[in-house]
Amino acid sequence: MKQCKMILALLLGRLVRAVSRLLHRGGTDMPGRLALKLCPELLSLLAAPVKSLAITGTNGKTSSARMVEEAFREAGLTLFANRSGANLISGITTEFIMNADWRGRPKAKYAVIECDEAAAKAVFPQLGPQVVLVTNLFRDQLDRYGEVTHTLENIRIALSGAPEARVCLNADCSLTASLADVLPNDIVWYGVEPGATPSRSAPAISDATHCIRCKSEYEYDYITYGHLGGFHCPRCGYRRQSPSIAVTDVVEQRADGSTVLMEIDGRRELVQVNLPALYNVYNAAGALAAVTAMGLPAKTAIEALGRFQCGFGRMERFALGHAGSRMTLVKNPAGCTQVLEFLAGLKEPFTLAVCLNDRAADGTDVSWIWDADFEILGRLGSRLRRVIVSGDRAADMRVRMKYAGVPGERVSEQRDYEALVRELENEDVPVFLMPTYTALLELRQVVIRHVGGADFWE
Amino acid sequence: MELNIFHLYPDVLNLYGDGGNIITWTRRLRWRGIEAKVHRAPIGASASLAGADLVFIGGGQDFEQQVLLEDLHRGRDREIRAAIEDGVPFLTICGGYQMLGAYYETFDGQRCDFIGALDFYTVGSQTRMIGNYKFRCTEAAGGSEIVGFENHSGKTRLGSGVQPLGRVLAGFGNNGEDGSEGVHYKNVFGSYSHGPLLPKNPAFADHLLSLALARKYGDGTLAPLDDREELAAHDEMFRKI
Repeated sequence: MKQCKMILALLLGRLVRAVSRLLHRGGTDMPGRLALKLCPELLSLLAAPVKSLAITGTNGKTSSARMVEEAFREAGLTLFANRSGANLISGITTEFIMNADWRGRPKAKYAVIECDEAAAKAVFPQLGPQVVLVTNLFRDQLDRYGEVTHTLENIRIALSGAPEARVCLNADCSLTASLADVLPNDIVWYGVEPGATPSRSAPAISDATHCIRCKSEYEYDYITYGHLGGFHCPRCGYRRQSPSIAVTDVVEQRADGSTVLMEIDGRRELVQVNLPALYNVYNAAGALAAVTAMGLPAKTAIEALGRFQCGFGRMERFALGHAGSRMTLVKNPAGCTQVLEFLAGLKEPFTLAVCLNDRAADGTDVSWIWDADFEILGRLGSRLRRVIVSGDRAADMRVRMKYAGVPGERVSEQRDYEALVRELENEDVPVFLMPTYTALLELRQVVIRHVGGADFWE
Repeated sequence: MELNIFHLYPDVLNLYGDGGNIITWTRRLRWRGIEAKVHRAPIGASASLAGADLVFIGGGQDFEQQVLLEDLHRGRDREIRAAIEDGVPFLTICGGYQMLGAYYETFDGQRCDFIGALDFYTVGSQTRMIGNYKFRCTEAAGGSEIVGFENHSGKTRLGSGVQPLGRVLAGFGNNGEDGSEGVHYKNVFGSYSHGPLLPKNPAFADHLLSLALARKYGDGTLAPLDDREELAAHDEMFRKI
C-alpha cells in the first residue's frame, strides 16, 4: 500500500514538473508539494537510500552548498542538489522525486541539500542527513522568522530529529555554537582564529550581546564581523571552542576571491577561495568541515574551493556593462553590511543598483535596511560613481541613501528592470547589483535576456 | 546650538532598524547647522539622563528582557520618570514604549512589572499584529499622518492619565480594538511603529526636534528642509496601505 502510494506520488510529481516546464516555469516547488499531499512520508522513503549532507543557518547556505557540491564532484561521487534555492520541504522533495526512478530508487547516491532554518525541523527527521552544516545565525526577516533565539530553537528541534548526523558548527557564532550544549551529536568546529584578519570594533548592532546560557554580557578577544569572533562569558565561562578546521591567516582578499591559510586537523594548507569577501572565507571553512565530516579527504575540498562556481545571484558575474557586473543577493543586515564592506575594499570606482522588494519571500518589513551599514557608501566619495534604486520599495531605499550621506545627484530611481539593464549596459565602471530575493528572480531573468546566463533551476 | 540625544539601551533595544530614528534626527539637525551629540547608554552604564535634550528607546527581543528589567530597577527607572516629568521629549518604540507603562501580562497570566512612568498597561495575546499600517497624530502631537510597520503581540490599554498619540487609519495600533495608536504624555511619545518611524515621517521627526529646541533655547522654530524623497516614500506607502 505504502509502495503503491509512493509510486503514485512520484508519478504525480513528475507530471506536475513536466507541465511546469512546458509553461516555462521552474516547477521546483509544486511537484513536491502535491506529491507530499498524496504520500506524506514520501521524502523519508526517497531519502533512505541516499547519503545526504544538509546545510542550514541564516547566511551562506547556497554558497556553502555549491562548494560542497564541487568537492563531491571532485571526489567522483554522483550527486544531486536543490540548486534552484527551493529550500522548503516541498522544494527538497521535488529534487528527490526528480532523482528517483519510477520505483523510488535513487539515481544519484549523494545529496547536497540546503534547508531553510524554519523548515529544517520538518525536513531533517525525514532526510536523515549524515552531516549537517549550520552556518550562522543573524537577524533575518523578523516578520517571518521572529527573533534569532526562536530560529535557534527551531534548528535545535531539527537536529534532535537527526541524532546520527555529524554536526559542523561555526565556533565563532555564540548562538549556533550553543547547540553543542544540548545535542548528543558528534560536533566538528570550524572558525577564524585570532589574528587571521584585523579585529573590528564592536558593531553598532549585534545579534548576540548577552550570554545565551546565563544572560551576562559577552567579552570579546576579537571580532571578525557582526557578533562573530572570540567571545567568552565572564560569568558562566561559556566560550568559543577551538576549531579543528581553522582559518589562521587571511593572506589576501581580492575582488575575485581570497587566499587563506588554514589548519585542518593540525595540518597547514594554503587555500584559494573562488568567491570574494570575508563571509565566503567562513563559507569555505564550513564547507571544508562538512566535506571532511563526510569522510572525504581535505585535499579534495581544497581543490574544489579554488574552482567552484557559485552562480545564482551570489556574486554572480554577468557581461553587463563595459567593465562587467556582479549580482549578489541581500536579505538581512549582517549579509548586506558584509557586501557593502567588500565594495568599500575595492580599489576602483563602481556603480551600484539596489533593488528592494517587500514581498512575502523578501520579508514584508523593510526596516532592516536601516540596520545595514549603508553609511559605508556615504564615505566612499567619488569612488561610488552612482547608485540606482529600484524594486517595489525603491522610494524607501532612496531615503536610506540620502540619510547614509550619498549625495543626491548620484542617486536615481529606475523601477523598470528593462530600462535599468539598458542603462547599466552603458556603464564603463564595474556594476554591482544588490537585489532582495524576489527582485533577484526577476532582475536576473532580464539581465540574462540581455547578456546571457543560465536559468535559475540550472 | 546643540542637542544631546540619549539612546537608551542601544545594545539590546535595537530591533527593526530603530537606529534609523537616531540617524534621522542627527542628519536633520546637522542639515540645519545644529550640532547633534548622540550618547549611547547601554545596560550597566552609569550615565545619568541629566543633560539629555531628547531621549530615544527602541524595541527589543524577549531574550534580553530580564537583563533589561534588572538594569532598569537599579535606579534608571527613577531617572526616566524624573526626565519625563521634567518635560524632556522622549520617543519610545514597541518594547521601549511598553516599558514605560505599569506592566506587561503574558497571555497565560504571568505579570512583569515595568517602570510605571505612564498610565497604561499591556496584555499579551496569541495573535501577532503585524504589517504596514498608518495613523493620524492628534493635534497635540503635531497632527501629521504617519506610515509605519507594526509587529507586536502585546495589546496596550491606555489609562485616563494619558492621551493616545493618534487614531489608526489602517492596521491595528495599540490593540486592534479601540482605534488608538501609541501614547502621548507631556513630551513623551510612544508608538508601535518601527519601519523605522522617523525617516518617512519627517514632520513628526521635526515635531520632536522642535520640542527639544524650544525646551532648551526657548524657540523651537526649524528652518524648512527639502523633503522630496522622504515625502515621496511616505505618500507612496500612505496610498498603498
